Amino acid sequence: MTLTSHDPIPAANLDGAVEDYSRDKVYVLTALFLAAVTVLEILTYAYPDFPIWSGNLLVPVLMIMMAVKFFTVLYIFMHLKFDKPLLTWVFYSGLVLAALVYLAMLSAFRIWWPESHS
Amino acid sequence: MAEALTARESVKAADAHAPTAHIEHDTNTGISNTKLGMWLFLASECLLFGGLITTYLLYKRPLEGPTPEEIFDIPFTSTSSFVLLMSSLTMVLAVSAIERGDHERLRIWIGATALLGATFMAGQIYEFTVFVREGLGFTTSRFSSAFYTLTGFHGVHVTVGIIMLMSLVLLSLRGKLPEHRSETVEIVGLYWHFVDVVWIFIFAVVYLVP
Repeated sequence: MTLTSHDPIPAANLDGAVEDYSRDKVYVLTALFLAAVTVLEILTYAYPDFPIWSGNLLVPVLMIMMAVKFFTVLYIFMHLKFDKPLLTWVFYSGLVLAALVYLAMLSAFRIWWPESHS
Repeated sequence: MAEALTARESVKAADAHAPTAHIEHDTNTGISNTKLGMWLFLASECLLFGGLITTYLLYKRPLEGPTPEEIFDIPFTSTSSFVLLMSSLTMVLAVSAIERGDHERLRIWIGATALLGATFMAGQIYEFTVFVREGLGFTTSRFSSAFYTLTGFHGVHVTVGIIMLMSLVLLSLRGKLPEHRSETVEIVGLYWHFVDVVWIFIFAVVYLVP
């Protein structure tokens, strides 16, 4: 079937969301969840001695919370969860390439060894 | 005409919630070139911001001038981060509104997104002003150069996003943003969410990690 430029196209052919999903309520709940994680992040600064993130645990805990927020926005707000998998692959190709290149660069500068900072 | 009606009915029957976006021409992937292009652009932006963040991490310890611990105002930046995070909610509600054909709410949510973005930018300009007053200029130290470059680049992205949002409001007011062009709003939304996602990373790595 050929469609003219002003005709809606069947859901099966949509380039956007191909899965049914509820809308505004999910978005508001997602925003509340993100706000709660942000509050937790700020608490790590306000109460640095709290047992869950004290000492060496602080950076891993912050990275986990950051990753949770990052992928929540990516999958819910940016619709990757509902879109065609190709878009996920396209984005991950850039994300993974960037992560590998810059982790290699940080390693080359020996950033993981504390004595190298002095 | 009959074909168009059939297509319209099949959309409603198949998925009442799916956006009635359309592609101007057929593509091999079933994804519009514009949307695929935006995702490719965002993938390339990962490399740009990855480079800037890596440089910041390498130069985080200044040899001279104020240190991050001395000048960062975490409560203030936390508020700015919260504002930007909430702008993602208003943006996604704008996309949802145009997919329903609700143009008034579209303009309200896009206007709110632009306002929140402008509030974030005002906060960043204020922060920069305070830092400069406290002796942290762009060339004060390797830390300050890396910091201003990273957060400045992000600020430029937010500003470009605000301009795109205002353009959408103008298009909508002129009636040039009908439901079947909801993908335009979605694509600007993708850009806006990405800017938010980058800030999520910057906020944790630059401001919170000691």
